[in-house]
Amino acid sequence: MLTRRSLPLIGGALALPGLARAQGAVEITVHYAQPVIFKESYDALAAAFARREPNIRINWITTPNYEEGMQLILRQAATNLTVDLSYQGFNRLRLFAERGIAQDVMPLLRAEGDPAAMGYSPNILALAHFGGFQSGLAYAASNPIMYYNADLVRRAGGNPDAMPTSWDGVFELSRRIKALGGGTEGFWYAWPGDDWMFSALLFGHGGRMLTEDERDVAFAGPEGLGALRLLDRMVKEGGMPNLARDAAQQAFAAGRLGMFFWTTAALRGTMQQVGRNFELRTTVMPVIDPVRGRLPTGGAAGMLIARDPAKREAAWKFLRFSTSAEGTTLMVQNTGYVPTNQLAIDDPRWLGEFYRQNPLFQAATRQANIMIPWYAFPGANSVRVTQTMVDQQARIVEQRATPEQVLADMAAEVRRLLPRPRG
Amino acid sequence: MSEAALSGALPHRRRLGEALGGWLLSLPAALSFLLLLLLPTLAAVAMAFTDFELGLWPPAWIGLENFEEMWADRGFRQSFRNTVVYVGLVAPASVLLGLGLALLIEAGARGRAFFRAVFFLPVVSLTVAMAAAWQYLLHPTIGPLNAALRVLGVASPPAWLSSSDWVLLSLASIGVWEQAGFNMVLFMAGLTAIPRELREAASVDGVHSAFARFRLVTWPLLGPTTLFVVTITLIRSVRVFDTVAVLTRGGPNKASEVLLYTMYTEGFTFLRLGYSAAITLVFLVIVLALMLVQTRLLDRRVHYG
Repeated sequence: MLTRRSLPLIGGALALPGLARAQGAVEITVHYAQPVIFKESYDALAAAFARREPNIRINWITTPNYEEGMQLILRQAATNLTVDLSYQGFNRLRLFAERGIAQDVMPLLRAEGDPAAMGYSPNILALAHFGGFQSGLAYAASNPIMYYNADLVRRAGGNPDAMPTSWDGVFELSRRIKALGGGTEGFWYAWPGDDWMFSALLFGHGGRMLTEDERDVAFAGPEGLGALRLLDRMVKEGGMPNLARDAAQQAFAAGRLGMFFWTTAALRGTMQQVGRNFELRTTVMPVIDPVRGRLPTGGAAGMLIARDPAKREAAWKFLRFSTSAEGTTLMVQNTGYVPTNQLAIDDPRWLGEFYRQNPLFQAATRQANIMIPWYAFPGANSVRVTQTMVDQQARIVEQRATPEQVLADMAAEVRRLLPRPRG
Repeated sequence: MSEAALSGALPHRRRLGEALGGWLLSLPAALSFLLLLLLPTLAAVAMAFTDFELGLWPPAWIGLENFEEMWADRGFRQSFRNTVVYVGLVAPASVLLGLGLALLIEAGARGRAFFRAVFFLPVVSLTVAMAAAWQYLLHPTIGPLNAALRVLGVASPPAWLSSSDWVLLSLASIGVWEQAGFNMVLFMAGLTAIPRELREAASVDGVHSAFARFRLVTWPLLGPTTLFVVTITLIRSVRVFDTVAVLTRGGPNKASEVLLYTMYTEGFTFLRLGYSAAITLVFLVIVLALMLVQTRLLDRRVHYG
């Protein structure tokens, strides 16, 4: 499904098309996914951008999700590209970089000055650095957080102002919530879907997916085993039910699930679903390894596709604006994601007031210092690898295999799907 | 004389004109068949022998490699097995249920239109929307079904859609619910075509039990209808996709992965269009084989006309 709509960015240009043409108006097409989450932020950006660049007209294309967004761009690459700038999920950027669709934006950034001085710190640049070059600029970043039902926590004898900071504490509280009966469940961890929440467990132990040279798996060691054992303990000690993600979300919104571990990106949606059913709160993830522990970063990055010089320049201007301190402030205020410009993070003048008024959005920002890029697997099987990992975890959640067995099988299957060295 | 000349020339010219007219009239249909059906199918068949991936150009001809991979692929084998199990559950159950409903409604004196409408509703409703309703009904913690089971004393009722033991059975039940109504309508049409006199004649001849009348008169005469219903049900169940895509996404651990869903994920999520086309080809062969077997084996035995 594809919706196409063009925003009359500038009344002037519409009223006086001749004048606009004379001044060299450029029309670009920008794509983004998940309008449910992002539409308000892009609308705000478009309005602010139109005031700065009245000669750039933007046609918008949206896809309901990242997957269809990826298909759209790849289909267009096979026929004829009309999208000049596309906002894609971090984990898909590598695929575009390896297929020669995303362009290196580093030269453009350098031409404007020192990237760090403009708020593009090395950590932020790393989020969209794939395929060996700067294949995009991070637009919106997210990390996993804990959502909880403060009413249930209170009823189970817990303290909603001091939630457990370790998994042991979470399991203990979960058992007490489950003991309330009536089909109430303690907690649910969003392990299905993709490899993102698994990486939270793996990175939390200080592990990594592949070796530095990306020729072999690196998760088959103690960190990976620790991650899978933790998943196993979630079921055994925490009593985590076997739910699909939609079912878990519905149970949480209905007030039947105590704690829910998922991305902060779902915050706005969850707030709407929960409404006044109960007191919704959020907090940081339980700490696994206080020193080496990290969290994966979800979200979207803008990637430059346009080849035509005029369109390329115009698309770059919008990308640059959308990731500037001003742009990221608009994005945060309209979505709930973590800002992706260091200037906006460091200077409370941009977002300080927003966070004071919206405490639920603080959880993700409080752990922004340990965010590392979402790992994207190399080669043609990159998406397939993540499905394999989810399938293998299902064996633990259903208690059909031990973490040791699953780790060995997972490593073997992922090895099979990695690109073989040619020659 | 002129008359004689005319009568000699006309039939010939008219035949030619008629043939030309026929060709012209069928041209739009023939063209659209060629462009919209035959060529894409042939393209898909050709694609099945390449390693075509979305975004990577040009594809290379790799012969039977896709099929070899399929043979060794745990995911595909599981998906094939699941599809067979699903069809094995849905087809017989929905055919028998459809027949039962049709007989009951035909025999009943009152409320025919009402029951017909009730059981036909699932057929005309949108599967995707209905799947959302099923998701709620079968929800492990807030669903009415499990709430009822808990009241009845089942301590931990199953997670219908997320347990690998139950997921296929749950999907199959939804499939039966969807198809039984359609089969019922087909059987009812078949039943009305059976002359009432035949059953009355059987009665007169001393066949008194209703079941015997069904076995001796109704069932044999329903032969052609049954053949059609069985074929169409088999094909419709092999095509299961919507409920899987909406409710389970093939999970957990491929426990509900079915052929069309595998084809979709391979092609559009994993971007391997070549491999996906190879799966499509397998699917096509299955459907064609089903139709052939059905018509060839049963055709002789079901004609009474």
